[in-house]
Amino acid sequence: MAEYYDKLLGLCSFSTKEIDSLKPRLEKAFEKLGLNRQDFSRAEERVATQHDLELVGVRKILRAWLLDLLDLVLSREEGKKVVYYGYPSIQGPGMTIKAASNINLYIGCPDVVLCHTLGQIFDKITPLLEAAEKSGLPPGHGLCSLQQVRNGALALGIIPVPDLVTGSSYFCDMGSKADELLHEIYGHPAIYVDGIMDSAWGEYPQWLPERLKFLGAQIDKLYATVNDVLGIKVTQQSSEKAMQISRRFFKALGRLTKLMMADPMPVSGVESGMALNLAAASTGVSMTDGAEAIETLCDEVQARVDKSQGILEKGAPRVLNFIQPFSDPSITHMMEKAGLALSSSLVTVPPPKRDPSIQINTLGEDRAEAALRDVYHSGYGLAKRFEDAARLVNIDGVLWGYLFNCRPLAQYSHLVKQWVEKNAGIPTLSLEMDIYDSRSYGPEALKTRVEAFAEMLRARKAAM
Amino acid sequence: MILGGVDVGAATTKTVILQDDKILGFAVINTGSDVIKATNKATHQALDGAGVKLEELDYVVSTGYGRESVTFRNKTVTEIICHAAGVSWMMSGARTVIDIGGQDSKVIGIDEDGRVNNFIMNDKCAAGTGRFLEVMARVLEIDLDEMGPLSLQAKKPCSVSSTCTVFAESEMISLRAKGEKREDLISGIHKAMAHRVAIMGQSVGFKKQIALTGGVAHNIGIKKALEEEIKMEIITPDQPQIMGALGAALLARTEAQRKA
Repeated sequence: MAEYYDKLLGLCSFSTKEIDSLKPRLEKAFEKLGLNRQDFSRAEERVATQHDLELVGVRKILRAWLLDLLDLVLSREEGKKVVYYGYPSIQGPGMTIKAASNINLYIGCPDVVLCHTLGQIFDKITPLLEAAEKSGLPPGHGLCSLQQVRNGALALGIIPVPDLVTGSSYFCDMGSKADELLHEIYGHPAIYVDGIMDSAWGEYPQWLPERLKFLGAQIDKLYATVNDVLGIKVTQQSSEKAMQISRRFFKALGRLTKLMMADPMPVSGVESGMALNLAAASTGVSMTDGAEAIETLCDEVQARVDKSQGILEKGAPRVLNFIQPFSDPSITHMMEKAGLALSSSLVTVPPPKRDPSIQINTLGEDRAEAALRDVYHSGYGLAKRFEDAARLVNIDGVLWGYLFNCRPLAQYSHLVKQWVEKNAGIPTLSLEMDIYDSRSYGPEALKTRVEAFAEMLRARKAAM
Repeated sequence: MILGGVDVGAATTKTVILQDDKILGFAVINTGSDVIKATNKATHQALDGAGVKLEELDYVVSTGYGRESVTFRNKTVTEIICHAAGVSWMMSGARTVIDIGGQDSKVIGIDEDGRVNNFIMNDKCAAGTGRFLEVMARVLEIDLDEMGPLSLQAKKPCSVSSTCTVFAESEMISLRAKGEKREDLISGIHKAMAHRVAIMGQSVGFKKQIALTGGVAHNIGIKKALEEEIKMEIITPDQPQIMGALGAALLARTEAQRKA
């Protein structure tokens, strides 16, 4: 007998047999999520119009997200221990903890999962935001909507109260504050990973040895807490296992990132964003089913590239885009409709390689060293990476989308623009938006700025 | 060729009819709640002034927030590009445009070929736009047209918030009740607005010649406050409010020539 969710799941690459075998889980999860027939009907149309369903890889990526949603929502009922980490900075340690685990464990970032599923697929993220607004994170206070998603999901009972939460207070300090609020409400333990953020301008990619020691000790403390609370012992072997598990995923992602640079751009940034963010969201199906899905997508995209097929005309201005919207794909589509090929991100240009002379003494320091080479520990580092990316990759413009309520991103909004324009000579649009909550920043509100930027880049290209 | 440019803004709709290098006619009307009606009315007024019929237009470009509601358009272009084109035509030496309209303000950088090389627009808030002045004029019970000349009479300009129009309105009522002089209040409002626009424009940079466009450009007090804020001379072109529509008409000419 056909169920109301069959069609959507079919669009998302679930086979009939799989739907049958998952039926008890699906129905339990959908009930918890408050998803009804109308929601599925709307989601069918949304997925069909917002995603490139001609590509099996896209459908499989949607499937991976939905599977992770099931794992998240049902984790407590299914007897798992539950650990949440914050976005963007703790996925690495999260993966290591997962690899070390000898217990039934869900470890992921629920906010990112919910944005990509309830948001992107079902267009039903607003109830979570509204629940958060009533639960200690009110509107008009410049609060992060991603934190509101987690807060609201807990308030609505959609996701379980975790056994442990970990977040960083470097880069994003609101995450840790929001976790503190949730700890007060729900009582679960929280462990924060601090970092020393006051690096000297121009220091990156060097740093004071004390920063490595401090951050390394913080991550070691996280691992020790995980052992105390959950009995999970993180070792060198688990760190290596984590790398092994995620290797397939990141190899596929690297291939997709390169393919996106083709001209014409072969697939929408919506799809590459969905692929990329699987890494941020979870440590479970994302690494297995997600990896396989991205591999499939890569083969299909390669076929398009071989035939010079794309979603934009050849020669469309190519833009280095900092971050895609998580919840509302229509914003990315608006940018592409304006004629911008969102072909690259910071992932396109990897961080500097490790200096072999640096002394690494603990697992925490090993992770810390990698983190310090990334963009979350230095404002100068962030601007410099953008400058380097703009120089190294063949692009016509940079799009720095920032949330006004995200202190690290908003702080850099004009700094990155001015730095890249001055040092790399690439026009940069500093665009205020909200990648999690598009209620105030829908495509129509952003259109004029994006279209003007696209027109400016086209005229510049034509004149060169 | 006879070209049309229609700029449909939140407050006003403007149409310019151009032939060769001559403006045959133009019109500026309030947009009101019926955008399509406004575009038709403005266009027909401009056409009447030009002595031309709609069907004689070879190409029409529309711009502004309501650009897609111009049913007889051939193409849409954003107002940023159009303002740059219009100002460059009027003032070949212009390198910066400050456009302050009904609901947004922009600072646009132009290169020597009249192309946009940088721009910024206000985010979220009406402070720093014509709406800000409208609200203040209502609180002070004066016409918008009186604000500029009155502001120049100020002896002791008040300090007024530039963060939020609604909060500034409350502040204005409170200052008025304290007995602050009207011209000092208006001067304070102008300074607040100029400050906001100047800060915003820093990321683009102010290079001369600087042109002031949009409906607010008619306000001589704003022009003075901006000049004091950025410490550079600002020029208001003739008919500053139609620069977007003029630019749209010029881009219509380019498109029509390209297709011919």
